[in-house]
Amino acid sequence: MENPTNSLEWMIFLTEKYLKMFLQGTWLTLYIAVLGTLLGFVLGYIIGIIQDMKVGEGDLFIKKGLVFLLKAIASIYVEIFRDTPMIVQAMIIYYGIRQAGVDLTPVVAGVLVTVLNTGAYMAETVRGGIGSIDQGQREGAWAMGMSPMMTMFYIVLPQAFKNIIPEMGNTFLTNLKMTSVLNVIAVQELFMAAKTVGGNYYKYFESYLVIAVIYFVLCFLFNKLFGLMEAKLKGETDYALAVEYMDNQ
Amino acid sequence: MAEKIISIKDLSKSFGKHEVLRKIDIDIEKGEIICIVGSSGSGKSTLLRCINKLEKQTTGKILFHDKEIRDIQRDINEYRSRVGMVFQSFNLYNHMTVLQNCMLCPRKVLKVSKEEAFDRAITHLKQVGMAPYINAKPAQLSGGQKQRVAIARSLCMNPEVLLFDEPTSALDPEMVGEVLEVMKELATTGLTMIIVTHEMAFARDVSTRTIFMDRGYVAEDDSPAKLFTDPKNPRTREFLSRYLAG
Repeated sequence: MENPTNSLEWMIFLTEKYLKMFLQGTWLTLYIAVLGTLLGFVLGYIIGIIQDMKVGEGDLFIKKGLVFLLKAIASIYVEIFRDTPMIVQAMIIYYGIRQAGVDLTPVVAGVLVTVLNTGAYMAETVRGGIGSIDQGQREGAWAMGMSPMMTMFYIVLPQAFKNIIPEMGNTFLTNLKMTSVLNVIAVQELFMAAKTVGGNYYKYFESYLVIAVIYFVLCFLFNKLFGLMEAKLKGETDYALAVEYMDNQ
Repeated sequence: MAEKIISIKDLSKSFGKHEVLRKIDIDIEKGEIICIVGSSGSGKSTLLRCINKLEKQTTGKILFHDKEIRDIQRDINEYRSRVGMVFQSFNLYNHMTVLQNCMLCPRKVLKVSKEEAFDRAITHLKQVGMAPYINAKPAQLSGGQKQRVAIARSLCMNPEVLLFDEPTSALDPEMVGEVLEVMKELATTGLTMIIVTHEMAFARDVSTRTIFMDRGYVAEDDSPAKLFTDPKNPRTREFLSRYLAG
């Protein structure tokens, strides 16, 4: 497209001219969102499980102390990251670590911030998910000789996981959009790409419209994908009778 | 005299100021079928839950093969695998099929082979008439079917004692029969059973010993023949007259 005259033409012009930049931005946005979310989920599960730990009267003093310490650390971490904006966290972590003499790339810092942020929110979600599982499920496991740890992994978590899948999807979409704040630490993601492209021709409106479309399409597609996954995980509503054992009825 | 499995000595349990169990003394021998009856709130379920360490007694002792279960800390899971429990609300694992419900604990707790766990599951599911439903999830079963699966699941651990906590109380009347039928069958296998129930006819016909609990005490502990026809304690008489009349 040569000599664009209206906004639509400008959008096409910018997209063609800076296609590589937009694609790289999209890739980095996806990369940080996917990696940050997945690792954040792992962290969230660990923190959520720690917060659900209980000690019995008969437990050793050292175990009680350790659980108390872990819980305290988990609570402080969750509070700090839930009660401060991600954009501020990004600045503090990036500049803080660099100031300490560690050579941290913006992308690594971006992933780290996303992981820590996701972990704090997921911890609460996981704790809620664990709490939603009826106490009878646990007693049914304990009474069969399962330890609290086994009960957590075989009985409680699989059911809690299923319940919080929609929330996990939401978290991913939030992260996909929240990566845009990482431009403040110079991560070359989509927002940064639009800012740079827009600045070249003073066409900010058109440039940001381009990435708005990209964000929208990505989120829309992922949303559909999660919907399909959820339906699939709900599983069969029907079951096959094991006819080979019918004669014993 | 048969081998003593469980011995409860001077057992008391309070929840705060509320005394639920008071000075319980019961000896249970191998092969006994003990039914515990009594009105709601008399401490029956709490007693069972203490035996399985789901609740901790306030004072007194529970001995399992002469070993104080309060001292069992590390081996609590091994102990529980030998003392099975069937709950009022079934407590099947909702995310697993019937077969997985029955195979999980033998595999993970007793560490038996997959084949062995499968054989046990099929054997006991056949015993309760639920083998054709191995692929079903708990949500797809009726209450009676769920309870029969829960019984099979407990049996897969080859327990020495099986505790039943009001196994038919959450069931529709027409499903009570099928569960009691299964339990009657079980009673003939020599398994030691302790059953908290409101099914008086079942207690009378199946138990080898019936215990009547009242306000946390063992008010009467006798053969069902005596307890149901000639109760010594006036509270027992009052309780039974209400039940047997209805």
